[in-house]
Amino acid sequence: MIALVRTEFVKAFLRLRTLVISLLLIGLPTLIVVAIKTRGDRHERDGGEGLFRLAQQSGLLVPAAVLSVMSGFLLVVIAGTFAGDSVAGDASWGNLRYLLMRPVRRGRLLVAKAFVAGTMIWACTLLVTLVALIGGVALFGSHPVTVPASVSFTSGGISGFQLGTGALVVRLVIGAGYVAFGFTALLALGTFFSTLTDTAAGAIGATIGVYIVSQILDAISQLGQIRYVFPTHYLSSWTSMFTGNTYSQDMVAGIIVQLAYLAVFGTAAVVWFRRKDIRS
Amino acid sequence: MSDPIVAVEGLWKRFGDVSAVEDFSLTVERGQVCGLLGPNGAGKTTTLRVLMGLERPSRGVTRLFDTPVVPGSPVFARVGAMVEQAAFVPHLSGMRNLRLWWEAGGGRLQDADVDGALTVAGLGDAVHRKVRTYSQGMKQRLGFARLLLGRPELLVLDEPTNGLDPGEIREIRELIGRLTEHGATVLLSSHHLSEVEQTCSHVVVMDKGRLVTDGTVAELIGTTGSVYLEVDDRDRAHALVAALPSVAAVHVQGDGLVVELRDGQRSDLAAAVVGAGLRLETIMPTQRLEDAFLNLLDHGAPAETKAPEVAP
Repeated sequence: MIALVRTEFVKAFLRLRTLVISLLLIGLPTLIVVAIKTRGDRHERDGGEGLFRLAQQSGLLVPAAVLSVMSGFLLVVIAGTFAGDSVAGDASWGNLRYLLMRPVRRGRLLVAKAFVAGTMIWACTLLVTLVALIGGVALFGSHPVTVPASVSFTSGGISGFQLGTGALVVRLVIGAGYVAFGFTALLALGTFFSTLTDTAAGAIGATIGVYIVSQILDAISQLGQIRYVFPTHYLSSWTSMFTGNTYSQDMVAGIIVQLAYLAVFGTAAVVWFRRKDIRS
Repeated sequence: MSDPIVAVEGLWKRFGDVSAVEDFSLTVERGQVCGLLGPNGAGKTTTLRVLMGLERPSRGVTRLFDTPVVPGSPVFARVGAMVEQAAFVPHLSGMRNLRLWWEAGGGRLQDADVDGALTVAGLGDAVHRKVRTYSQGMKQRLGFARLLLGRPELLVLDEPTNGLDPGEIREIRELIGRLTEHGATVLLSSHHLSEVEQTCSHVVVMDKGRLVTDGTVAELIGTTGSVYLEVDDRDRAHALVAALPSVAAVHVQGDGLVVELRDGQRSDLAAAVVGAGLRLETIMPTQRLEDAFLNLLDHGAPAETKAPEVAP
């Protein structure tokens, strides 16, 4: 199993795509941090978005602001790419059959591929967080933050509160972890789709497509409680740690939803892949 | 007799309502070079895919080294297989592809026959280039290197010379010969009949998913027992050969004779001619494998049968 994971990591790391993604995930957060700094005055006058406005007080909040914008689409696309490509990538090269004509159990190979894809997703989230943190602290320092009442409306009437440096760091770690964990459902879906097709682009597109549809449907409040099981419904719950001084119960619900998707689609992927005729 | 290296028993493979393989059986004994022949769509590749655990049989049993084939079986460590064209991770070098493929199976590279495999590949420094820069022939040679890493006892080759030039095809043929001299068993699917004729000791012919015939190459070619003979004195040879008990008939054809053998071997005929002091210039079957193959497909194809019900 360790050998499989190691070989899959080598294949993933030595790909030009991985380098491009890495550069993107360094460059874009840097650009956002610079934008927060240079456009800060205008945001202050306009009120600005909650986390972005707060980020001007402390560099420790900059990663949260950056994650809040990047986890909505770009990280979804990247995570969908890693997940959707996990099996279908090898299949599209015709290499999958050669892996499976070895004494390699299909279930183990699938788990190894999903593990590597998941690790890459976590690494991408961590990279964004670190780049934003370094840039943020360099430009804004690491001061405590005072959250004004206008930002803390979600906490139900609390008129404002202060987050010390230690609290910010803890919440940042939890927030980044929650964002990364929030892609668990996507990982499971992507891996499942990846076992269904020999076309990597198809699996990636289907994975990202499900997330886009989920986000669109989630915005329709008339759908009621069914939205609670959408994989994207609780994705931004973590921001209330910074704007509402509260660890939202929605985060717990979000973790449960992610685990449910992992259980259902992870199992489906293993069952399907073990029985599948490898035609590629 | 020892257990066969490859055993396929009553194999059926259906895709929906279409049967790709119907009640097909095959055995390959140790040391044999067995050619699997058939026209496009005969079910050759499907059979090899099932044999290598890539596809599940609808019915029937496949065994390698007397071990039932299941995906990921340890028995695959004893097999080197190339099913359809060789394929690799394109953004990695040939050498890294070999290393990762080997290590994915849990082996250490120092235990693999890397030097021997690289000699076979004959890629020189190109083995350190990314595979996406390779020609199809280079990929095919690297594919041979890959399957030889584990010093396999059995080679399963599906159209192994596709994409190779005549020189490379000859190299592969000689390689297979060397491997079999060292005890390897080979199951080779090909539609290059001359390649099979020169490489294989045994032949299995399939068509429309079913077994048409099997046997040695000599048996298959010799079904008409017809031999073309050229000697320095045709008339004397005519009289000599016609008197042999193993000869059914003799006809003049051009500068030579066409001899219809009853049950004798070509070697017996040649010995009789040479023993009579005649200079033997040419002796060859009037029918090549290609003729026998086409005759079999024209006349020997099995009748259509209804596929059995298969449990989902």
